[in-house]
Amino acid sequence: MSENTRPFIQKIVNDAREYVQSLLDENKRLHDLLAGMQEENRRASARYVEVEQQNTNLANLYVASYQLHGTLHRERVLNAIKEIIINLIGSEELGVWEVNDGYLTLIDSFGLDDNEWAAIPAGAPSMIARVAASGETFVASNTMIALEGREKNLTAYVPLKLDDDVIAVIGIFTLLQQKEGLEPVDHELFDLLATHGATALHCTKLAAGAAQ
Amino acid sequence: MKKKVLLVDDSNTVLLMEKMILAKGPYDIVTARDGAEGIAKAKSEKPDVILLDVMMPNLDGLSACAALRADPDTAHIPIVMVTTRGEQANIETAFRNGANDYVTKPINGLELLTKLEYILGESAA
Repeated sequence: MSENTRPFIQKIVNDAREYVQSLLDENKRLHDLLAGMQEENRRASARYVEVEQQNTNLANLYVASYQLHGTLHRERVLNAIKEIIINLIGSEELGVWEVNDGYLTLIDSFGLDDNEWAAIPAGAPSMIARVAASGETFVASNTMIALEGREKNLTAYVPLKLDDDVIAVIGIFTLLQQKEGLEPVDHELFDLLATHGATALHCTKLAAGAAQ
Repeated sequence: MKKKVLLVDDSNTVLLMEKMILAKGPYDIVTARDGAEGIAKAKSEKPDVILLDVMMPNLDGLSACAALRADPDTAHIPIVMVTTRGEQANIETAFRNGANDYVTKPINGLELLTKLEYILGESAA
């Protein structure tokens, strides 16, 4: 190689290096852009799932409220309570006890032994009596209290309250096999049953009284 | 183009819930209250897909599913069983009777919409 051609060759090599470096830079820029878009896509997908879950939860609450207040017939209100627990919360073991004359009297059930649960003295040493007295929802998984006997499989007791008076208690026992545990919307459904279930049941009494 | 979905369930609560979930999709909804009415509606309405409850009066969902599959007029319609009991044996029975898929209660809206989109996309292909 002559002395005259060396600078020329060197320039070509340098230009080629610069060109390769610019390609590498562009490649990195596109790679970063793609990673950003993938991250954005992941965020959008997660948000979509979250919004759809919120939609389902709102639908649950709307359906429950609609069903409870869609009738003035006692049997239909009780049936609505059962359907809400079976289909929206997910349990096929439930009971509804009315509070009167010092007793909790079973007025509707599904999957329970009615004879075993028919009438419970309000002062009995059981959780259902404590819930009827306190007016506080009891969720078994939120406590360390070990329930025994017929309450062993309890998931929750929900007191139905008119103002501060407990007029009935809903008991929800074993959850469906595919249901791994209570979800936030289930607690919202408990709250809805506690207030709207009570007013719906009370309205059936008023309607029956008015009809007579 | 809207797809027609036949909802078969004896529970008002479930029917209303399913309607609300499907309301934001491109679906026309038809309902039936038991297996026998479901078969009749499947023949008269010719839906694109059927959501079929398992436990129902008159004719349960599994028997209705088998009857729909045995009838040339309805044999091609995709069926999604809606079941309270998620045990493996129940699901296997549903598939043996001709179900294409299943969802368990309480119904998850996203799961149901995703399965319907998949089934309807597949049946349109």
